[in-house]
Amino acid sequence: MAYKIAIASSDEIHIDETFGAAKLFHIFEINDGKYEKVEERFANENNQESQCGVSGGCSREGCHSAVSSGCNGNEGNSKKVQLIADCRCVICKKIGFQIQKQLERKAITVFDVSCTVNQALEKILFYYGKIDKCQSLRGAGSKKTVTDAEPV
Amino acid sequence: MAKLLDKQRYKCAMGAMQTVQAIDRAIPVLHSGPGCAQKLSDSIGSSGYFSPNIFPCTSINEKDVVFGGMEKLHSTIENALKVIDADLYIVLTGCIPEIVGDDTEEVVSEFADSEKPVLFASTAGFKGNNYIGHELVIDAIIDQYLEKSEDRQKGLVNIWADVPYQDLFWLGNIRELEKLLKELGLTPNTIFGYQRGIDNVNKIPNAEFNLLVSPWVSVGNMKKMEKKLGIPYLHYPTLPIGAFETSKFLREVGKFAGVEKNKVEAIINEQEKYYYYLIERYADMFLETRVMAKQFSVVADAQYTLGITKFLVNDLGLVPAKQFVADDTPKQFRKQIREEFENLNYGIKAEVSFETDGYKIHNEIKAHDYHGYPLILGSYYEKEVTEKMFGHYLNIFWPVQDKVVLDDFYVGYTGGIRLIEDIYSVAAQRWN
Repeated sequence: MAYKIAIASSDEIHIDETFGAAKLFHIFEINDGKYEKVEERFANENNQESQCGVSGGCSREGCHSAVSSGCNGNEGNSKKVQLIADCRCVICKKIGFQIQKQLERKAITVFDVSCTVNQALEKILFYYGKIDKCQSLRGAGSKKTVTDAEPV
Repeated sequence: MAKLLDKQRYKCAMGAMQTVQAIDRAIPVLHSGPGCAQKLSDSIGSSGYFSPNIFPCTSINEKDVVFGGMEKLHSTIENALKVIDADLYIVLTGCIPEIVGDDTEEVVSEFADSEKPVLFASTAGFKGNNYIGHELVIDAIIDQYLEKSEDRQKGLVNIWADVPYQDLFWLGNIRELEKLLKELGLTPNTIFGYQRGIDNVNKIPNAEFNLLVSPWVSVGNMKKMEKKLGIPYLHYPTLPIGAFETSKFLREVGKFAGVEKNKVEAIINEQEKYYYYLIERYADMFLETRVMAKQFSVVADAQYTLGITKFLVNDLGLVPAKQFVADDTPKQFRKQIREEFENLNYGIKAEVSFETDGYKIHNEIKAHDYHGYPLILGSYYEKEVTEKMFGHYLNIFWPVQDKVVLDDFYVGYTGGIRLIEDIYSVAAQRWN
């Protein structure tokens, strides 16, 4: 089963961008346990300011709430979520609570980790490979943790 | 085909957080998903010095499954040491980190130099139920904390009994066992309950011997202590309820501890006198066959099924129907426990079934001819089936829904009287 993974990285080597600050997402497609970069998707610059409640207002039609948190009307976030809506998971350095909830509602898993792109992909591919075949996850996290990764 | 277990009467091994909770000022640090503790905490109560609903927990999620949760565990232990004022921290692992291979031992070893002891027990659900979990926690204390001591205190006896909180009457029972040993002139040492904390744990290696009152739980712990700490143990398999068994218990402990025989007999004599004075006053009630059921069944763990069966036969002269041991007793102990059931007074033998499936147990109860209404002592699951059979029902075992027990107990002479009161109150309510 082919699926896509979105990665927030400035250099394509390290996971060094937070979800909110990421200007683009590297999209990897996974086919038969092999990954390949297929495209880059750019977030709309204009929406950067309205993220994470910075703008304060809710832009959804008919909604007059002054608080953006917990309200689905924050367009900036939704647009970024929509940008990667076809991905199975997103890998980034850090992510806000509200936006993570929005992604979870679309069944997109968030992995907020600090390691290299290759390390992250290797672990995630192993994980999805096992659960897709209903196999045991024995050794999935293993003794190698993110702390073993090179400093970013 | 998937095997289903209906109405099980135990929890997973991480239910051992109850065992940690029972040690005063000891706290479990859970390396598990956030739902585990919530599900397991029901019978502990939800408040106290440490509330089971706010145990430190790594609350691992999908990310930790993929990338490992050791970093999170490290920070959870580190912060627990900072913000929680406890004497003993015991890290318990759930299934998920065990399956994906988090090296809990390695993380815990990083806290070897911390001011307070940090231990760990691997209590993944697939290792067994909470009876096994209880043993694993005590093993952890023996292996990782206790050291052999040359300083032995004459007459100091560590008492070990069944699983705290799983056993509804654990607190009262262990206090009563302490009291009985004090009567013999011994000094009891227990680690569970009010004001029994780390100081009592520290005293374990100084004991003259270990006393285990349980059919099978903790036998492994006793062997381990014998090997590592050089402490011999006396295994008394029957929970002493009522005069007959308690007197036998005192004689056996007295003999093992080298207490003068005359002294033991004097104590027994004094205790029995009061016990039988009470029985005598209500003898007409006990002899009136219409009040009580003719046959009884107990559905509980090995300690209560065996203890209560012996009490009802030996002390009250009731006739046992089939008895059910529902704690998934390990196979190597079953033969010995079965023999105990065949060793009742008046040459009576009780048939016993080691069955964990509530559906099968209920079918057997329904199929048996109790020669009238039955007396069923069991968990809350037995209430409905007993009501349908118009029987007497008493809730003595987990899960408990219709009863609040703070420090009531069934152990000893007094405990036997309490159990009689409870059973006959059920009958009295029925007829009045």
